[in-house]
Amino acid sequence: MNTLERQQQALLAALLEWPAQPAIERLKHFARGVGTDPARGLKAYQANGHMLAERALRAAYPVLEQMLGADSFAELARAFWHAYPPVRGDITVWGDQLAEFLGQSAQLQGEAYLPDVAEAEWALHRCASEPDREGDLATLSLLTTEDPSTLGLTLAPGLVTLSSAWPLASLMLAHREGNPSLEQVGRQLQRPVPQEVVVWRAGFQPRLRLAMAGEALLLRALQAGLALEHAVEAAEGLDFSHWLPLAVQSGLVLGASRTDRSIAAPGLD
Amino acid sequence: MRTDPMQPIESNPGRAVQVGIGWRHPHYAQLLEERPKLDFLEVHSENFFAQGGAVMAVLERGRSRYPISLHGVGLSLGSAAGLDTWHLEQLASLVQRIDPVRVSDHASFARGALGSALVHAADLLPLPFTDESLGVLCANVQRVQDRLQRRFMVENLSAYLQWKSAPEHTLGEPAFLNTLAQRSGCALLVDVNNIYVNALNAQLGGHCGDPLAACKDWLDQTTPEHVGELHLAGHSRVNDAHGEIVIDDHGSRVCPPVWELYRYAINRFGAVPTLIEWDTDVPALDTLIDEAARARAIAEQVLVVPA
Repeated sequence: MNTLERQQQALLAALLEWPAQPAIERLKHFARGVGTDPARGLKAYQANGHMLAERALRAAYPVLEQMLGADSFAELARAFWHAYPPVRGDITVWGDQLAEFLGQSAQLQGEAYLPDVAEAEWALHRCASEPDREGDLATLSLLTTEDPSTLGLTLAPGLVTLSSAWPLASLMLAHREGNPSLEQVGRQLQRPVPQEVVVWRAGFQPRLRLAMAGEALLLRALQAGLALEHAVEAAEGLDFSHWLPLAVQSGLVLGASRTDRSIAAPGLD
Repeated sequence: MRTDPMQPIESNPGRAVQVGIGWRHPHYAQLLEERPKLDFLEVHSENFFAQGGAVMAVLERGRSRYPISLHGVGLSLGSAAGLDTWHLEQLASLVQRIDPVRVSDHASFARGALGSALVHAADLLPLPFTDESLGVLCANVQRVQDRLQRRFMVENLSAYLQWKSAPEHTLGEPAFLNTLAQRSGCALLVDVNNIYVNALNAQLGGHCGDPLAACKDWLDQTTPEHVGELHLAGHSRVNDAHGEIVIDDHGSRVCPPVWELYRYAINRFGAVPTLIEWDTDVPALDTLIDEAARARAIAEQVLVVPA
């Protein structure tokens, strides 16, 4: 390892390792801070990292911040910064492992739904930056003229379905939209009912709602490349003719297209 | 691509200076609506790495009305671990999409090994001004220019740490940056406030008697032909339990000594495009426009050619 590598690794360790003191002692061999005290400069970088961590996670996880409170959330962000430091130079892609980190937290075992909330928020965060997708609603007329085993549906950018053992849709919607109320969600948490959610982007707006019965199966089948006929077969419990107009209206389905895929796949659930 | 060092950079000596502002989220809509007279907008490249969505749509609307200067904070050009190909490809995609008037990042590092993993500290960490560091920086800048097929600009830092390197292996910062520009063909982005912040911190540490004179000396040592853009911003003085330090927080108006240094820089470098940066506690758009107007007025005073 050359000198520059040793210098750079020493500074990175002093900023990202926790507890930091052993690494800070090693850094003294290589550098001194500016200002009135040699330690002051490193404090500036440490503070900047922590502030950035809080700001980045607050942007991606506003519901979690509401649930935990501002101070606990800031503490979480700082702990996560050291446990899972960024690997990219784009801070907006940092934070994808927060659900995993929450699941490992002994302090949060009493709130076991938090990792699922984090997963839903990350899906919302990421779908905001997905590539735009052009739709053509006129192509939906193919559904009346073509064999459904030769058709697929064009789905919204950022589409994700999530299954949770908790009332995940209720938790998210209560904090994002105020409906249901927090009291209602509190009652649901006492005897948890599993819920599935759908996340997608309607225009530029990330959206989340409770999945209809069988809807997640349909969407996963379509995303896996199944033709419409087989995807509908996989979506047990879904009334497709009822679902389609709602999905079109909400920007979840953008059009239809011919496909050469007519394969039936084994269970996708 | 080996960029031709003789290729003219964006400065235009003897002509009017181009003045822009940093375009940040609080002003996205207002600026598009009011379309103030500005010569360019600067945005942080990484804020627009998205492949689509509302943010990219805003940038494309801005691009249809103003030239855009893409200013990065995450390339980690001085990293001994090398550039992150993912990051470079995101930047290349953005450059192709926006066709910016200038593209830049910093003479800094953030990427390196932590244990067995490669991490990125998401900060602008200083480089030692050594031959070894210069070699790494030149190679990485050249790789960026080869990929983007355009001349890149590299900015001087405000640094809160100083490396302990053997004096015989240490260059002065202007010499380090001049050599970078000569070897790689890149241009230099001179942040006047950063020079002043470094001088103030050196004064706090007892290493600088006259910060303003030290900054003018810094500017005198910088080769004018290399300079492609100037940055102006505010800073703050922090005095807490850990000690006193000056922080380049981009959170206030440009201070009088930095305006004086700007006048000095324009006199030396000519009509170099100039940016007003404000990233913390972003004020009303009018305040930024006012700062930009002041920069334009100073540059015009300095550059006036007698009839």
